[in-house]
Amino acid sequence: MPHSLKAVVRDGHSTTFFEAAAEGRLLLRFSPSSGEWSEPAARVCSVTQAADLEWREASGVGSLVSWTVKPGRATEDRPAVPTVVGLVELEEGPWLPLQLPDVDPADLAVGRAVRVEWVQPEGSEHLPVAVLA
Amino acid sequence: MGVVTHEASGGTAIAGLGITEMGKVYGRTATDFAVEAITLAAADAGLALSEIDGLLVNPGVKNDTDLRLQSTLQMRDARLLATMQGFGSSAGQMVQYASMAIANGMADVVACVYADAPLTEGKRAGASYGGQKRAMEGVQSLQFAAGLQAAPERYAVAARRHMEAYGTTSEQLGAVAVAARQWASMNPDAQMREPITLADHQESRMIADPLRLLDCCLVSNGAVAIIVTSSDRAEALRQPPVHVWGWGQAHPGYVNRRDSEFGLVTGAAPSGADALAMAGVKVDEIDVRELYDCFTYTTLVTLEDYGFCAKGEGGEFVASGAIAPGGSHPTNTGGGELSSFYMWGMTPLSEAVIQARGQGGERQVDKHDLVMVSGNGGVLDFHSTLVVSPHRKS
Repeated sequence: MPHSLKAVVRDGHSTTFFEAAAEGRLLLRFSPSSGEWSEPAARVCSVTQAADLEWREASGVGSLVSWTVKPGRATEDRPAVPTVVGLVELEEGPWLPLQLPDVDPADLAVGRAVRVEWVQPEGSEHLPVAVLA
Repeated sequence: MGVVTHEASGGTAIAGLGITEMGKVYGRTATDFAVEAITLAAADAGLALSEIDGLLVNPGVKNDTDLRLQSTLQMRDARLLATMQGFGSSAGQMVQYASMAIANGMADVVACVYADAPLTEGKRAGASYGGQKRAMEGVQSLQFAAGLQAAPERYAVAARRHMEAYGTTSEQLGAVAVAARQWASMNPDAQMREPITLADHQESRMIADPLRLLDCCLVSNGAVAIIVTSSDRAEALRQPPVHVWGWGQAHPGYVNRRDSEFGLVTGAAPSGADALAMAGVKVDEIDVRELYDCFTYTTLVTLEDYGFCAKGEGGEFVASGAIAPGGSHPTNTGGGELSSFYMWGMTPLSEAVIQARGQGGERQVDKHDLVMVSGNGGVLDFHSTLVVSPHRKS
């Protein structure tokens, strides 16, 4: 899948997330006390601020909230390649900012169903992207 | 050392304004610009530098000046001193903290300065605001890795959400750019004074859809300083005082989940309401608006959130000509960050001082009894508001 994601390496907080990512599984933060899900970067629950977050596997299904299309720049060798980046609302509630490789911008719409897939830039952990479902 | 005049209820005022040469001015550091701006602001007020006993310093994107500016200024015995960082909301915040310090007898004359020198000769302006440069670590870097790095693409996502929710169009955003340039054409200190048309906007290069080049602010080297003191003292100084009637801050803390109002409603809504309540005025009593316009969309959404038009009707409002010269709601009368210069919140604040004093020359708005000023930082994350007036609050 052609994409333009940049490399990300793991830190202490993200080790479990990227271990699962390598197996194609999306983890989010889940608070047993509130039953609410939070984005991967959350340190406390995004609804109650409870400190009991744990990693839990999410469905990887969601819908588009908003997006931008970066036109890219043409070079002598090739035409400009646009980059589409969207805000995806996962069905569990959290938003993820995800690149949508290989999508026709004309197909983008609020509420458009997407699902998470994975790419691995050179020197990087596996990173989530969104494809139209 | 001066004797402190305790002014628990007398109010505060902006008594001095200093603006350096602005834009593509090379070979000078942020500290160089800051010293010049403070010197200009003190002279403007008719104060000696030695009468300043408080200093608040807001460094810009390069973050290369700070509270050590005190020693550069040979400033003895400061009673209030800090580096401030609320990004684009800093200028309004500095006036607020200076006013509280003065009202409580902690300091008497406070200089507030913003200084930055992000432009380097021969380099693209965008390189200064290019975002992440180090190797990226952890899940907090996922947005940068995906391609949401620089300010235009992150604001583009906000603007797109507004467009999809309310039917706001690119042409309506263009009306904001055209109006700003109309005002700038009457401002001899504006960087961009050549008139533009809506067609120019529509033909300008796409930066991050839906934002085109002419939806984006400038990048400037320079500094702006203001002097805040008690209203009593300001009345005895050289310039007409610009009294501070009300203020607010609101930092929405957008959480990345399904109830987020990101792109739809900003901190301007609660911050503006607080500032108006403190000033004791209604939004329709405001004569002049000086709004933080890092992008055309920011002007539009701030007009909605302050209540100058209904939520979702900002597009029609700006397209009607309301904010342009001759319109019903004069806004960003110096050309704003889009066309005049980009000094974070000091751009709208400095123009508010000029308008409130009645010193706007060709661009002066006839009725300027109440001026509302916004500051916006991050990606709509941080907001401050001021209501100022040439009249003392009764």
